[in-house]
Amino acid sequence: MKTVFVVYADDNVGTAVLEPISAGDTVATNGERSDIQVAARADIAYGHKIALLDISAGATVLKYGLSIGSATRDIHAGDHVHTHNVESNRGRGDLADS
Amino acid sequence: MQQFMGYRRANGDVGVRNHLLILSGTVYANGVVERVADAIHGAVPVTHANGRCQVAPDLRVTRRFLAGTAMNPNVGAVVIIDHFKEEGMTAEDLADDIAPTGKPVATVNIRADGGYINALAKATRYAQDFARQISLLQREPAPMGKILFGTECGTSDTTSGLASNPANGLAGELLIAQGGRMLMAECTEWMGCENWLTDKAASPEVAAAILAGVQHMEARALASGEDIRGSQPTGDNMAGGLTTIEEKSMGAVKKIGDSPIIEHLEIAAAPTQTKPGNYVMYGPGMGAESISSMAAAGCQVLTFCTGGGHTSNHPIMPTIKVTGNRNSYDLMRDTVDVDVSGVFTSELTLAEAGQIVYDEMARVCSGFLTKSEALRDNNSFAIHRVGPSI
Repeated sequence: MKTVFVVYADDNVGTAVLEPISAGDTVATNGERSDIQVAARADIAYGHKIALLDISAGATVLKYGLSIGSATRDIHAGDHVHTHNVESNRGRGDLADS
Repeated sequence: MQQFMGYRRANGDVGVRNHLLILSGTVYANGVVERVADAIHGAVPVTHANGRCQVAPDLRVTRRFLAGTAMNPNVGAVVIIDHFKEEGMTAEDLADDIAPTGKPVATVNIRADGGYINALAKATRYAQDFARQISLLQREPAPMGKILFGTECGTSDTTSGLASNPANGLAGELLIAQGGRMLMAECTEWMGCENWLTDKAASPEVAAAILAGVQHMEARALASGEDIRGSQPTGDNMAGGLTTIEEKSMGAVKKIGDSPIIEHLEIAAAPTQTKPGNYVMYGPGMGAESISSMAAAGCQVLTFCTGGGHTSNHPIMPTIKVTGNRNSYDLMRDTVDVDVSGVFTSELTLAEAGQIVYDEMARVCSGFLTKSEALRDNNSFAIHRVGPSI
């Protein structure tokens, strides 16, 4: 059993600040949310995030109870959450309407 | 209401230290300043590279940093040493700025007072008199509501936004509940979190100033020919698990809690209001300039949240280092004061970590020395420049 840290109760990601996680590990949460258990679907390095719930493409990724960006593809509980499946919604000079 | 033991000043301010400040008016007085401070019990030197050949707007900011530092409630008396005459920022100009506080101020001019050795002797005599004069002051009880609590983060890592910064925000809320004020600067690191901050703004004017401050800092970065966002988050941030600028900035702004933001300040400017709550200030992410701007605004104490560990210490404002990274604490335990990494191992709740930070801050306000103070380290006075040397 591995543990990730959750900052705010409505976050849908946790952070591996106790130990790195390997694919297949059972992952529990502590911090402000301790009611979730997921199976890691990928290796999660120290300091990186894991999805605690399914997050649909386009949905908001919540850390600190706030948006850190949007999912660019469907993310499954247990997935590694990082630049490959989340994009920023701020400071996007590449988007015409921003 | 909770109290601390502080030094009551003539203007009603309360200091947490009773420093004799030896203040350099210009780079060319730094040597005399350091020698005077070496000679006199308890004297603290503040030296810098400014005071000559600055464009007027830049010189005004320098003047605000220097006068504000001397006006800080932690300073009991001031000896200002100048070289000759800098139009717009002479030692006399600085003394005029400081005069409303009612604290003893003396000025020495190296040329007018007969050269280096004579100026050194004159300044040393002033300093000796002032050191004895302020030694008569005793600490007395004062409400925690008198505290303007600065907060900074530097050498941040993944743990900063998860442990030390939110614990610090909760500590600020505890102080605000006692009638105190918390100040956060570093508007570069509000980028991506503007809405989180403007939602707390006490008025539309404050919200507009927050947005304008971030835009101005961003424009300053763009004027360098490089887009700041080309490197935010940085490669090592991403390697460490930070995905977007929003995520990085959110960690930084969590240094303040949920109370309203009462006022937005220009760099190194003192608040004009006394209402309890959060205050924010325009300024760079550069740590020494940032904490010096908050000392100049009148902060008596500051928490410096650091993931990687830090040595930063301001000469007249106790600088309490807080980390959420146990490895950093173990490596840097001679300068890092507080370890809140227990939030990751369920040894501490965030609320308990916030209480620990608050309690440390309150103890320091009553005279408990920070680790860097005990080392007499004095490394973090720096003045933000808004114009070139000419």
